[in-house]
Amino acid sequence: MAADSDTESEVFEITDFTTASDWERFVSRVEEVLNEWKLIGNSEEKRLSEKSEFTSGTWEENFEEINFADFKFEITYHFLKQEHVKSNKKEELEEDAVPLAVQNLLSENNDFPPRAHCLVRWYGVQEFVVISPGSNCEAIISESKCNLLLSSISIALSNSGCQVPVFVQIQHKWRRMYAGECLGPGLRTDFEMVHLRKVPSQYNHLSGLLDVFKSKISCTISPVPPVSIAIRFTYILQDWQQYSWPQQPPDFDTPLGGEVGGVEFGKLPFGACEEPISELHLATTWPRLTEGLVVDNDVYSDLDPLQAPLWTVRVRTTENPQCLLGDVLSEFFKLCCIKETAEEILGRGMAEDEGKENSDISSALSKLTEPSATVPIHKLSVSNMVHSARKHIRRQRHMDESPLNAGILNTILLYLFPDAAVEKPSEYTKTKSEQSNTPGKTEQDKNSDNLFSQLKSAPSDSLTYRLALCLSLVNYNYGGLRAVAHVWQEFVLELRYRWENNYLIFGLAGGSPDLRCCLLHQKLQMLNCCIERKRARDDARKVLDEGKERAHRESGSSAAAVTSTKEVSPGKSWDSWSDSEEEFFECLSDQGDMDAPQTEEEKTGSKRKAEGRLHQYNSMNLLNSSEPLYVPVTQEPAPMTEDLLEEQSEVLAKLGTSAEGTHLRARMQSACLLSDMESFKAANPGCILDDFVRWYSPRDYVEEEVVDDTGSLVMKGHLSARMKIPGNMWVEAWETARVTPARRQKRLFDDTKEAERVLHYMAMQKPADVTLHLLPCLIHGTILKLKEEEATENIPSVQISLQQVVSQASRLMQTPARDYKRLEEFINRLIAMETVITQARSLKAKFSICDKAENREDLEIFVRSLLEEPEVLVIGAGQGPAGSIIHRMFVSAQRAAVLAPLDEDLNQERQSTESSRVPDFPSPAGREILLRTCVPRPAPYSKALPQRLFCVLLKDEFRLAGAFSSDTCFF
Amino acid sequence: MASANSTYGQKETSDQNFDYMFKILIIGNSSVGKTSFLFRYADDSFTPTFVSTVGIDFKVKTIYRSDKRIKLQIWDTAGQERYRTITTAYYRGAMGFILMYDITNEDSFNAVQDWSTQIKTYSWDNAQVLLVGNKCDMEDERVVASQRGQQLSDQLGFEFFETSAKDNINVKQTFERLVDIICERMSESLDNNDPTITGAKQGPQLNEQPQRSHQDCAC
Repeated sequence: MAADSDTESEVFEITDFTTASDWERFVSRVEEVLNEWKLIGNSEEKRLSEKSEFTSGTWEENFEEINFADFKFEITYHFLKQEHVKSNKKEELEEDAVPLAVQNLLSENNDFPPRAHCLVRWYGVQEFVVISPGSNCEAIISESKCNLLLSSISIALSNSGCQVPVFVQIQHKWRRMYAGECLGPGLRTDFEMVHLRKVPSQYNHLSGLLDVFKSKISCTISPVPPVSIAIRFTYILQDWQQYSWPQQPPDFDTPLGGEVGGVEFGKLPFGACEEPISELHLATTWPRLTEGLVVDNDVYSDLDPLQAPLWTVRVRTTENPQCLLGDVLSEFFKLCCIKETAEEILGRGMAEDEGKENSDISSALSKLTEPSATVPIHKLSVSNMVHSARKHIRRQRHMDESPLNAGILNTILLYLFPDAAVEKPSEYTKTKSEQSNTPGKTEQDKNSDNLFSQLKSAPSDSLTYRLALCLSLVNYNYGGLRAVAHVWQEFVLELRYRWENNYLIFGLAGGSPDLRCCLLHQKLQMLNCCIERKRARDDARKVLDEGKERAHRESGSSAAAVTSTKEVSPGKSWDSWSDSEEEFFECLSDQGDMDAPQTEEEKTGSKRKAEGRLHQYNSMNLLNSSEPLYVPVTQEPAPMTEDLLEEQSEVLAKLGTSAEGTHLRARMQSACLLSDMESFKAANPGCILDDFVRWYSPRDYVEEEVVDDTGSLVMKGHLSARMKIPGNMWVEAWETARVTPARRQKRLFDDTKEAERVLHYMAMQKPADVTLHLLPCLIHGTILKLKEEEATENIPSVQISLQQVVSQASRLMQTPARDYKRLEEFINRLIAMETVITQARSLKAKFSICDKAENREDLEIFVRSLLEEPEVLVIGAGQGPAGSIIHRMFVSAQRAAVLAPLDEDLNQERQSTESSRVPDFPSPAGREILLRTCVPRPAPYSKALPQRLFCVLLKDEFRLAGAFSSDTCFF
Repeated sequence: MASANSTYGQKETSDQNFDYMFKILIIGNSSVGKTSFLFRYADDSFTPTFVSTVGIDFKVKTIYRSDKRIKLQIWDTAGQERYRTITTAYYRGAMGFILMYDITNEDSFNAVQDWSTQIKTYSWDNAQVLLVGNKCDMEDERVVASQRGQQLSDQLGFEFFETSAKDNINVKQTFERLVDIICERMSESLDNNDPTITGAKQGPQLNEQPQRSHQDCAC
């Protein structure tokens, strides 16, 4: 055993002192390193550590590599960082003060630190140097090598005057065997160690260990100074039977078992599937005993854990417990890396089949609905039914092949498109409810409003968001990738159906695409824009046809037409005057429609035919006539999604910065200007460019007071200089502009083309693309869920983490390119939060069982610190509130262990008799016994110096770590 | 758009020689001098009359900041009300805004608040904005006192400059200041990025269990 190493034997084979051998170089290198780290002499800056400073303070380390020939060693200096105490220590500093490490041996301030280096635990040192073989080097096993190393240290220490203890690691790494020494003025301390697999029976108790200690220090004076003893027993509780955590069994089957509403799809699951707290360690400590005060030998022991004055508890958490929310998220994330297309996943046959069938039926359907003017409105709901019937047929046909059964698929689709659930008497009510719905929801959404723009996801009530939640759950619970591909296909089909049948997509904020949301959301909004415009066009045509019929009979049909228009789309208005042509277009305007009828009246009265007036403009008159200036109905600019926008700006940018480039760009963008001019011309017969500019760009019409011929002051206006530049864009456009109202102009926004583009884009998305699109939404959902769950637990660390996570997420999500590695790290962070919450819940359930109001608060604090601190003191030890709960846990676990095979009834009957036999606690999993004294060594007349023996008794380990000091003055 | 988004405009198009590309937008009411201002900066030229911008136009200027080539892509927008929807679509990719009014025109100054709201609504969260009162050479026709501009900019949290594209006053300074602010913001955000890179290394560690290091003797 290396424990018996005799460091005095300084017998080396040194033949030549003039040439530095490998060994000499090694020693001097050690000295160098010690010097570098300024470990020489007794530093006045250090002081003895205070009570529990080992835990509260920070430990640091310096590291260096040194070589012995070609053998690598790692030398590390571990130390407790201390604030510099610049007291007037100089005076106190004695020449031959005992080194700090030796003082540490006796200090009781930091016995059994909950978290520390093993050497700290064993020897109580607050600074030390360790030399251990490099990571790839073999262990130092042979005795001669050990001794060589130890003597090197001795030399280095005495040469350098370093008072920090130096240890070398010997034997195999896992044994954690160290030997070392510390040199001080007139004293040396040897650190020795015994390590056995089994506890020898004679040393299996305090009295045996005391014998070892005493024989080792071999004190010759009498009476022998008393040995002070500190003992700590650790008990482990692994059986939680009766204190299980409060997670309800995850309902994997319920959401779709019965007729549970699709709402279930909107909820992300949460919680652990297994006990997140694996073990509870109870340490019962007797911090200060004196020899003779307690008896602990092979037949009897005074050491009853219940009577221990100090109880501390720590919990062991299950490593990576399976947590539902985290699983859903990470499983979904995994889809991002799958290369296959939906067709490849679902099998070609099915996809083709579906596609064909779809195109057949939908074209048949669109034939039905296309000449919508002739189809009475109420019949539209019939096509709705046809639609669902078609789905049903198809689903039944594919039931055996498709990854999702019809029931589940229906629930999913109903969840995604709840508007399809209710049979609507007519399309109109649907429109209305939708319109009234959207603003209400956006109000409610204001809190998380910020979050979706930060994450670039989508509002939490939007279709996109629901789709993300839904697909993640489908992936997790209902068939994985194939099911996701299937749902996506169905989703795209539904979108096409809606486009072809003029049904708005439910659950999207109106207006042009919100660039703060994810691209998929923008695309959906774009599709909605297309549907809206197409519908408006179709409806207008319908109304017009009706109007035309009437117009044959009565000339004042205009009013009727307008009112019916209003009925169709509340809040929207357009001019319904047209002789329907091929390029017929009705443009919507955002303005209120109140003016419209008036406009019509006036117009019919006017002699010249003006078209597409919206309202009068600031009661201005045209310059060249007495006619009022009208604002025309104009075409709305085309809505853009960010990819279109990018495309367009790239095109614009490619034209370069030259003058021609600028001109070309202006020309490319002049379509809108031209259209507005044409509308203006149509609304204001006889107008000139000046009139247009007065409305469109008022600052380019300059009015000045001029003295006219008669000598009176007159306001005279003219175009600004820049508008007068010959051949400028505006003049040019004005000259080419025809007199055409907006509704008869070429469409600025080709909704059919755009819609097809969107639908094509959607259809081309692979499941992985879809996943990537939706990931921000799912992360959004996860964060919301964590917030919600945390709210009931109030865990500070999670609260802080949540804030950090949001900003981290926004940084990750704002960049278009996804960094998978960082995403994964990020997702792990979210999972960690979930785990902590489940741990807190589990502990709460275990400790808050007794609902005595007085204890509750204390218990809650206790539970919280269990999660945050490495080790928590149990107030009142075994008698305190928490202590008694822990006691009961152990008791019931003990009983369960003993009585496991017995029935409950028997159990109760026997309880009284059994309980006396079964001990409350299991046998301790670990015992630590610390013996300390201060005796003169090696001779009775030597200085009395600290001696220490730390014993660890585990089931399969027996370790004695001794530090024995001796006076070197006369030896 | 998103091209400029990509990690703070780091070079992603290989055809250009630059380290960073900043996209900057000049906005403000019609005829406050946005185009002149841009021409003064990019071409160092001035014409009293530029054709009123249709839609959106741009110029490029490359500058150097601490050994990095920064390509400024400066987009000039039409100020007319009618173009709002078109131009705001471009806001999202911009890293900096020059919000301009005309010191000889009260309306253009009154509209500043409005423009700033537009920026907040449509732009990126960390886009930087400078408030610029242009045409300060026309002191005779001034209707917006310098203090008012300063006051408003304080209120909005923007930095403020009075400039003249005609007399070349503060034009270069404005752009350079904007670039500086963007750079500052960028390095800040890169610093903050560190916890993202290193994962959970900062802040309270959730995974951190009350575990002892290897000396753990299960006791």
